[in-house]
Amino acid sequence: MELKYEPKKIINVDGSNKEFERALNTIPAGIYGHLGPSEGCMVPVNVYPKYMSKAKGAYIWDVDGNRIIDWMCAYGPNYLGYNDDEVDAAAAEQRKKGDCCTLIDPITNTFSEEVCKTIEMCDWTFFAKNGGDVTQYAVMVARSYTHRKKIVLTAGFYHGVAPWMQKLGYNGVTEEDLANNLYIDWNAPEQFEELCIKYKDQIAAFIATPYMHGNFCDNDTPHEGYWQKIRAICDKYGVVLIIDDVRAGFRIDIQGSLHKYGVQPDLACYCKAIANGYNVSCCCGKNFLLNAASDVAYTGSYWLSAVPFAAGVATLRKARAMDATAENAKKGKKLTDGLKEIAKDNGFDLSVTGEPGMFYLRLKNDFDSTILHQQWVAECVKRGVFFTSHHNHFVNSAISDADIQESWEVADEAWKVVKANNPDGHYIK
Amino acid sequence: MDNVTMAKINLFAVLRNLEDLCELDAESKKIAEKLNIAVEFNVKEVGSAVIAFKDGKCTFTRGKGKASLRLYFTSPEHFNKLINGENTIPIFYNVFKVGFLLKEFTQLTDRLSYFLQPPKEKLAEYLKDRTYFEINTTLTAYTAFFAMAEIANYDYVGKACAARVIPGTILCCIGETGPAINFTVKDHKFVAAKGQLKAPTARMCFSTIDFAHKILNGQASSFGGMGSGDFAVTGALDMLEQVAKLLNVVSEYLA
Repeated sequence: MELKYEPKKIINVDGSNKEFERALNTIPAGIYGHLGPSEGCMVPVNVYPKYMSKAKGAYIWDVDGNRIIDWMCAYGPNYLGYNDDEVDAAAAEQRKKGDCCTLIDPITNTFSEEVCKTIEMCDWTFFAKNGGDVTQYAVMVARSYTHRKKIVLTAGFYHGVAPWMQKLGYNGVTEEDLANNLYIDWNAPEQFEELCIKYKDQIAAFIATPYMHGNFCDNDTPHEGYWQKIRAICDKYGVVLIIDDVRAGFRIDIQGSLHKYGVQPDLACYCKAIANGYNVSCCCGKNFLLNAASDVAYTGSYWLSAVPFAAGVATLRKARAMDATAENAKKGKKLTDGLKEIAKDNGFDLSVTGEPGMFYLRLKNDFDSTILHQQWVAECVKRGVFFTSHHNHFVNSAISDADIQESWEVADEAWKVVKANNPDGHYIK
Repeated sequence: MDNVTMAKINLFAVLRNLEDLCELDAESKKIAEKLNIAVEFNVKEVGSAVIAFKDGKCTFTRGKGKASLRLYFTSPEHFNKLINGENTIPIFYNVFKVGFLLKEFTQLTDRLSYFLQPPKEKLAEYLKDRTYFEINTTLTAYTAFFAMAEIANYDYVGKACAARVIPGTILCCIGETGPAINFTVKDHKFVAAKGQLKAPTARMCFSTIDFAHKILNGQASSFGGMGSGDFAVTGALDMLEQVAKLLNVVSEYLA
């Protein structure tokens, strides 16, 4: 690809680093979780912007005033663009009326109906705040319905951070927390059936993401017929099928990710994109589980706050009207097709896996340490394009052709820098 | 915690330190200079190791080897009692060399305890001495990282963490020229060794011995160090994520 551009400016992130230093005094790890330097795999930490001053559309501006094209979308919540005018207007209107009150606002019902209208399998909704709230709830509903304890998870899983969702050896997690978990490989329905036979009448639920979008590895979409086999096994052995669509929801298919794969789950969990950054998550269920769901004691201080519901209604209506999911996927495809070509021009073999709306990048001709990829990502970030090393990316509706072009140029310059700094790399001739 | 893993740590991580102690500590070096003896430790269910003193140097070798004095421990607990300073007598072969055990070996292990397990009330005072500070930190680091390999290979939780580690090499170092320990991971088994690696799969490096001391003694956060640049991680970060989990288990064993 022929690219002509002026050398890119290296951003100064002193303000972010100063804020981070300040945070370490009163906040565990400074910035904890996936937005933080450790889980966010920021290598080296001090070149990454970490604090924002504002956000709009496809961009965030950090505290040092740098404008950054954001391909992480807050790790998923940014769907239509940051601070989308229509969504924000709906939220602002609701805020004038009230948000967190003793009586709930009828917007709750409107949002529930809007979700039921959007997600193909959805007969009812239960709202909470985070993805992990609803994956936890879904498992409780499955146990309430089946009167069974065990759940089956697939390799590369991530369903939140409650102890049972973590792994042996992780801080604060006990062996007992994991006692009812059974594990199988991804794309291995035969292993699931073996477990159903071995633990007859003991398995409450099968929980998985629509495809394997784990970190540190190429993402893996389901084999042909995979979900049909899983559905059939669930039906045969009375296991509740839970789809964790928290990350992939509205990135693959606006009617629910399993809609694309031709199967209906019994419970489906959403968060992130559902209200374009307003804090709400949702468990969608089939009618036969409604009574079991009603009997589960589960609530939170802010779970029925009205503002996010108003934002959610506006988000889903706008997304359907503009076919946001399909359009975002096209942008993801355009970006990554270009990146692959530019990588090749520079001697790099770029692997792009997963669905286009949430693509995962890896350099195939890297060292085992993946250090070239980490360096490339850091060089892009230093030039104002936010990629990440070992997590899938996200595409939002505000991304323009100009943003894609700028991202290509930055990627090109970054690969040139990496190549110059690593003359011993295994480059494509 | 299990006794077998504890005994492996005591033999292959704690006692192993005699090799470095005789290099780093002038007093220990002086004791070692006069010695010409090799002692083989054999612990049931745990394994063997040889500590040899020759030409003023001490070397620690995993496994059986040429030795003039052989010690046998009937169980992991039997050996753990010795390391804990409890009154216990090993079964030994070659009665003529027992004097070494009672004299020089005891002097050296006392010296090791002085650096690794100082009395709490005296620690602050000891640490004011820069030489003591550096030896204390270096030996603590060696103990922790060699213990980590034993935990990855034998402890129940450690094995679960190791099962998530991809094949490759991991370098843990203090500065570019300071103490360094490397791990080779194959089939989820860890082999630890001292020394730098040119191109490890994953690398974690403390900027200074002072920061390493803080981390090893729970006085600083590794996440905070990453932000300040005092603790640099690069390469296969998923390997290092599991190293962090393994080090948590280390602290349970060495508490």
